[in-house]
Amino acid sequence: MVEESLLTEDVRAHIGKTADRGLARVTPQALLRASETYFGAPWEPAPAHGEPVPGIVVAALETESFGLEMPSVMPNSLLISNEWQFERQLRMGEELEVQARLADISERFGGRFGYSLYFRSEVEFREPGTDTVVARSSQTMMQYDAASAAGGGDEE
Amino acid sequence: MSVDPATLQEGVELPPLEVAPGLGQVIRYCGMAWAFPPFFYDAEAARAMGMPGTIVPGPLKLGIVYRAVHEWLGDAGWIRQVRTAHRRPDRTGRPITVVGQVARVYEEDGARRADLELLIINEEQQPSVRAFAVVEFF
Repeated sequence: MVEESLLTEDVRAHIGKTADRGLARVTPQALLRASETYFGAPWEPAPAHGEPVPGIVVAALETESFGLEMPSVMPNSLLISNEWQFERQLRMGEELEVQARLADISERFGGRFGYSLYFRSEVEFREPGTDTVVARSSQTMMQYDAASAAGGGDEE
Repeated sequence: MSVDPATLQEGVELPPLEVAPGLGQVIRYCGMAWAFPPFFYDAEAARAMGMPGTIVPGPLKLGIVYRAVHEWLGDAGWIRQVRTAHRRPDRTGRPITVVGQVARVYEEDGARRADLELLIINEEQQPSVRAFAVVEFF
């Protein structure tokens, strides 16, 4: 049972770290992959060049980001939450810079899983050559020790 | 269908969306995301990790919530945000239902927007996901 914080300075030092910037383009193929994955069919009507596309396309573009080094502190991990945010609609054919970032690490004592660490990472989509973020895909992973988990109840 | 932002009120319910994400859909997700944890598609691997069988990836459920919101919204607007908090795993091939309602309708930055509160309910009628979305009307 962990009773002391594992959120050490070494672990905290990862907060804010970024991967190299990648480049992605909103293409009919990316929209097709996302649409067939989530909707089970191609997107209709297919957006023409310059027309707005549904936000689901970011799921197919995230793979253009470079990997992010995530500290492995505890033996088990679990996905806690996911989010897509958009400052504006993306458009067919536009090019975007994609970059992964470890946004935050926090800890929790007690609860269903015992002591746990929360890692929130983001992939930002920016207008090329600028810091203007147009979309963000984020997730929070929890690291915990299954041997210390109490079981029962929901995790908040 | 499409909503009418002029008359939309808090408490309006979205039509439920029932789906049963199968192994094929999960594999499509893995290929798109280039993410291949074996417990998503290999029942033996899932059982070895203490799971009852393969499970639906959490990020796939984010997209399913997006779909439920889109099918309600139609061409009346666009989705600015969708967020899912995962409460319990959902087994591959089992029916799940997205339900939701309008929590708030408001003006912000010169646009008419609505906050939505949603749930994914499993076949035991337990919430497996709590979700939130923001839509902006044209």
